[in-house]
Amino acid sequence: MHVTLSIWQALLIALWVALVESRILGFSTLTMRFSPLMTGMMVGFIMGDIKQAMIVTAAIQLVYMGFVAPGGALPAEPCIATAIAVPVALLGHMSPQGAIAIAVPVGLLGSYLYQFRFFLNTFALKPMDKYAREGNARGLGFAIMGIPTLISFALFIPLMFIALYFGAPVISGLVANIEHGTLIHVLNSVGGGLAALGIAVIMQVIGKKQLLPFFFLAYFMSVAFAKLDISMTIYAIFGAIFAILYVTFTSKKSTN
Amino acid sequence: MSEEVAATNADVQASEDVQAEEHRIPQPDKITNKDLMKSWFGWWWANEVPHTFDRMLAPAFCFGLIPTLKKLYKDKAELAKAFQRHLLFFNTQATWGGGTLTGVTISLEEARAKALANGEEPISEDMINNTKVGLMGPLAGIGDSIDSGTVQYIFIAIFLPFAQKGNFMGALLPFLCFAIATFTYGYYFTKMGYSLGRAAAKEIMTGGRMAGIIDGLGVLGLYMMGILAGQYIKIQSYLKFTISKKTFDVQDILNTILPGILPLFAVLMLYWYFQKQGLKITRGLIYLTIALVALSIFYII
Repeated sequence: MHVTLSIWQALLIALWVALVESRILGFSTLTMRFSPLMTGMMVGFIMGDIKQAMIVTAAIQLVYMGFVAPGGALPAEPCIATAIAVPVALLGHMSPQGAIAIAVPVGLLGSYLYQFRFFLNTFALKPMDKYAREGNARGLGFAIMGIPTLISFALFIPLMFIALYFGAPVISGLVANIEHGTLIHVLNSVGGGLAALGIAVIMQVIGKKQLLPFFFLAYFMSVAFAKLDISMTIYAIFGAIFAILYVTFTSKKSTN
Repeated sequence: MSEEVAATNADVQASEDVQAEEHRIPQPDKITNKDLMKSWFGWWWANEVPHTFDRMLAPAFCFGLIPTLKKLYKDKAELAKAFQRHLLFFNTQATWGGGTLTGVTISLEEARAKALANGEEPISEDMINNTKVGLMGPLAGIGDSIDSGTVQYIFIAIFLPFAQKGNFMGALLPFLCFAIATFTYGYYFTKMGYSLGRAAAKEIMTGGRMAGIIDGLGVLGLYMMGILAGQYIKIQSYLKFTISKKTFDVQDILNTILPGILPLFAVLMLYWYFQKQGLKITRGLIYLTIALVALSIFYII
């Protein structure tokens, strides 16, 4: 089975994926990213077969039903999965189920790409500190919106174009090759560890050493109760109670 | 009306004082619904675009506040300080968390800007930071389950039958409904956060309980950081070695000593580094990345 798209079709689909994955269209891109529907529709328009594209997409949607991303990390990228699987299904006259088989591994690879975008942002967004120090609103705005958009486009357009133009078999092979490789492991470890930085910064900014026990209290609460899957709201209620108790008792002491 | 006249007289007085004295901070402009909409839209638009590992969504939050902060702080140094404090670690959900906190933050910043201009004791930077940090987690918890977990799938479920029949409205309608609904109630949350925050700011400024409230928010802030550290930071050892046919799994050994010791170690090392060297975030980022890459290449973590 030989699968190809025209250069323009591949480029347009790649551009759409970059628009969604860069999130440049605002918060609503959440549902474009989590749900395959809009991507399936765009692929249908570009390939001139909306009806069949929607039928395949609806089948993929059922796989990804109920996907949510607490804290921003998604275990798969339905948008990327759909952008690859629907063209393959349309050109190869495959069943929706066959399309799902392609979509799932591609979606997995897509989630690594999305993480890689965070990784690049982490370093490339540094100029915003300089503009903030100078009180330069225009420069700050560009650093916050312009730089990450350029990064996303440079990352997603070439990769998606190559993937679409040269066919999905290449991708499934690639996924199998690097899924358990060192590169992905390093990327995961760096991604998993870097959150420590932001948290340490806030601890330094809050800056009251005598309050640090509350950090340790909360840390070991969340480690000890990890298996109980306690919601953030419950933790926050505990935190608010600790805060009220602390203020009440310390202010009593000073008035006595 | 008479109050307003009195206020403008005071403004005139203040602006004359500015000419008389150097380095008086100019009065902030009034915050209108249009400003709230601008900031809400800025946050809504930027939202996930500048997501980074170390600050999460802070740049997007700062981006939303840019037009409002420019109206509040005519003084370049204060504006720069405001930009910098809103670039620190921040992560929340877009509408319930981000909308509400955009409103609350604007009200606190407005109170601070006014107090600075009038030469009164202003709401401190700590207070603003701690409020954001304390509220972002719980609001995100609510928002994630409602917006992306429920609202989104209600619309998808309603219109999926269209898609299954091959009609593109099955894709377009759930998207439009989700976009319009979340944008609308997110703006409502921004306005609500603003009025709630204004009432709270007034109470704080007149009540003379500032120190206690800052401490309380500090407790809540550090506590929420502890919870986030436990949930977000993923560092574990993959090191295994065999001595006389017995395999030792380093992570298992660490778990018997103290579960969660590695993420805690990373945070405390960075905290200690900032204590010693000042808040050198870029250096901290580079050192941490080098350490993580070096350790993970050899599968130590």
